[in-house]
Amino acid sequence: MRRDHIAPAPTPTVHPTTARRDMLPAWLLLAPFLVAFGLFFFLPALETLWLSLTESSLTRTSAFVGLDNYHTLLNDPSFWDSVGNTFYFALLTVLPLCAIGLLMAMLVDRFTAAQGWLQGTFFLPFVLPISVMTLIADWMLQPSSGVVNHILGGQRAWLADPHWALPAVAIGTIWWTVGFNMLLFLAGLRNIPSELYEAAALDGARGFTLFRTITWPALRPVVSTAVILQLIASLKVFGQTYILTSGGPFNTTRVALHYMYETAFTQSDAGYAAAVAMAFVAIVIVLSLLQAWIARWLARRDA
Amino acid sequence: MARRGFPRAAALVATLFLVLAGVSTPARAQVEVRMWTLLSGGDGARMRALVDDFNASQHDVRVVSTTLKWGEPFYTKLITASVVGAGPDVATIHLSRIVNLAGGGVLRPISPAELAAAGLRGQDYLPRQWAKAQYDGRTFAVPLDVHPLVLYYNKTLAGQAGLLDAGGKLKPIDGVDALTAAFRAATERTGRRGLTMESSQSSYAIWRLWLAMLAQQNVTIIKDGRFTYGAAGAATLARISDWFTRGYAQAGLDYPASTSQFMGGNAAFMLNGVWEVPELVRAAKAGTLGFDYGIVPLPKMYANAATWADSHGFALPANPGHEPSPAKVSAVLRFVAYVSKHSLGWAEGGHIPAYKPVAESEAAHSLMPNALYAQAAHDVVYDPDGWYMGAAGPLEAIASTFLPAALYGYLTPAQAVHRFETEAARLVRKRPPRY
Repeated sequence: MRRDHIAPAPTPTVHPTTARRDMLPAWLLLAPFLVAFGLFFFLPALETLWLSLTESSLTRTSAFVGLDNYHTLLNDPSFWDSVGNTFYFALLTVLPLCAIGLLMAMLVDRFTAAQGWLQGTFFLPFVLPISVMTLIADWMLQPSSGVVNHILGGQRAWLADPHWALPAVAIGTIWWTVGFNMLLFLAGLRNIPSELYEAAALDGARGFTLFRTITWPALRPVVSTAVILQLIASLKVFGQTYILTSGGPFNTTRVALHYMYETAFTQSDAGYAAAVAMAFVAIVIVLSLLQAWIARWLARRDA
Repeated sequence: MARRGFPRAAALVATLFLVLAGVSTPARAQVEVRMWTLLSGGDGARMRALVDDFNASQHDVRVVSTTLKWGEPFYTKLITASVVGAGPDVATIHLSRIVNLAGGGVLRPISPAELAAAGLRGQDYLPRQWAKAQYDGRTFAVPLDVHPLVLYYNKTLAGQAGLLDAGGKLKPIDGVDALTAAFRAATERTGRRGLTMESSQSSYAIWRLWLAMLAQQNVTIIKDGRFTYGAAGAATLARISDWFTRGYAQAGLDYPASTSQFMGGNAAFMLNGVWEVPELVRAAKAGTLGFDYGIVPLPKMYANAATWADSHGFALPANPGHEPSPAKVSAVLRFVAYVSKHSLGWAEGGHIPAYKPVAESEAAHSLMPNALYAQAAHDVVYDPDGWYMGAAGPLEAIASTFLPAALYGYLTPAQAVHRFETEAARLVRKRPPRY
């Protein structure tokens, strides 16, 4: 009965005038992002889509050709080779980057005395610009004067070797970017309440059991995020191979974006390059969705 | 103090202004010509000297030269800038790119009247090079030189291998088997390499040699959008890769490594363009070479003695919307005419001048070592015509990716030629782009 005196609870639907009042500030707050997104991402993306349906050089569009470029693309072994190289690079980098990142994060978390020093050492390579990173990698991998051959012995020209060039670039990339993953995992580790470990320790759990039953399940969302971010980053590889190997030897390190660059700038075929870009975006989206779906499926199965 | 100083300062400024105005009156009539060039190193220095000499020789025209990175970056920049009206007034280009650049609308034709006004006549240039500067019946460039592929030899090592005659010159080599035998003899008898040449991944040298050897067999590479060399393509590449797999030459050397192998006395022969001549001349003069060298045109390996060559030339970018004024065109051509007439200095870069009065002058005939291979200019083959052809063009990029793979044994010669064809097929089928 007393309830009657209380003002009626707000209905779930917001009052129209309130909504309209909130609308303007909302849009104003969104505007800077939307303008930047529209001008520098959405419109160029639409333009690229349009370009991929035309015959164009770098500066002039000469004809609308419909899906011709895509048809050529499907039958272009060079494109599929470059996609294959990109996947190979992703295979060589994604899991090692996540595993090593996790390992580093656990080291930092564990050795509290050397925490700052360890964290700095692991993260330092990430702040290097790509030009410096490739310069260092190139020095280290020099056939006759590089430190790698000095330690291993021999005179292997790592970056000119068809079998070793891409793995060498991948190792350089891991060293360069693993610090970011370490930070992700470190944040994840610090979110795990220490009471869980204390309770488990009282129950007699030790070492790997702690990791398997507490750390890993708690870190799972972070792992899933790290893998997907890393997958996208690895598929977008361009700078490292462009600078270190320029796609060689014999196109064994020519990745998809490098092929797009070549068709656009060496061959002046912007229409075809746009088709390569669109097709590659589609492949990346499908892969990302697939990966997210697998992660969810694994989580549900274990739940 | 400041007040008293003021009139004096004002007078000074006024005087200075008057003096400056007086000096700059003739300068205002000066036409500035902006040139983009891809010439660097020794060639760059020699071109800079020509520009400086020209600027000092008169006061009407001032050439300002900018050097851009050789190869694809130069041409991409030239093309994109020139078709939006932001190109230079004149550019050095390769004549092998004329079909691409003139056909794509990047260059502006030079009319017979404009040429005549600058005192330039087609018949004054080597006929093959002048023809190479024409497209669609119009002149698009003024040739500067010819730079063919030649064979350098180390007289000490070649002598040890028994390849020299009594006069210390290379005995004539006739046929690809004879050339292979010479490389083998030099390798076996000296313990050094018989041959050195640029052979690393993405080197153009193998493409140039392959093209020359096919031309010697009267085999064309490409015709009407189809590859026409047939079985000769793989067979010829196999001949080249044979030298490497047998150890007469070392695969994987980049340009500096290959030339230093020869300069260091570690290879009896070197296959290279004439642009390496100045380095040899310099080292010989400085006494650091350690051996006498000789140069011959590429030996006749098959039916004829053709060799690969390319030429530099001067061209005027189209710059639509910012077309050059008649005064600008005549200023550019005045500079070009000056360089043509003074191209003996350019010949010191190893190049054969394209301007006949210079090429056939007494001074050119006695210029050493150029006189040793001057003959080669008459028997040269350029990249075939095609929008995708020419120096650092897209087809050369593909050829330079796959052909060297045969020397490493990473691909068989047949596979290398096949991969080259497969990747090039899309270019060859495509309509020529209008930039």
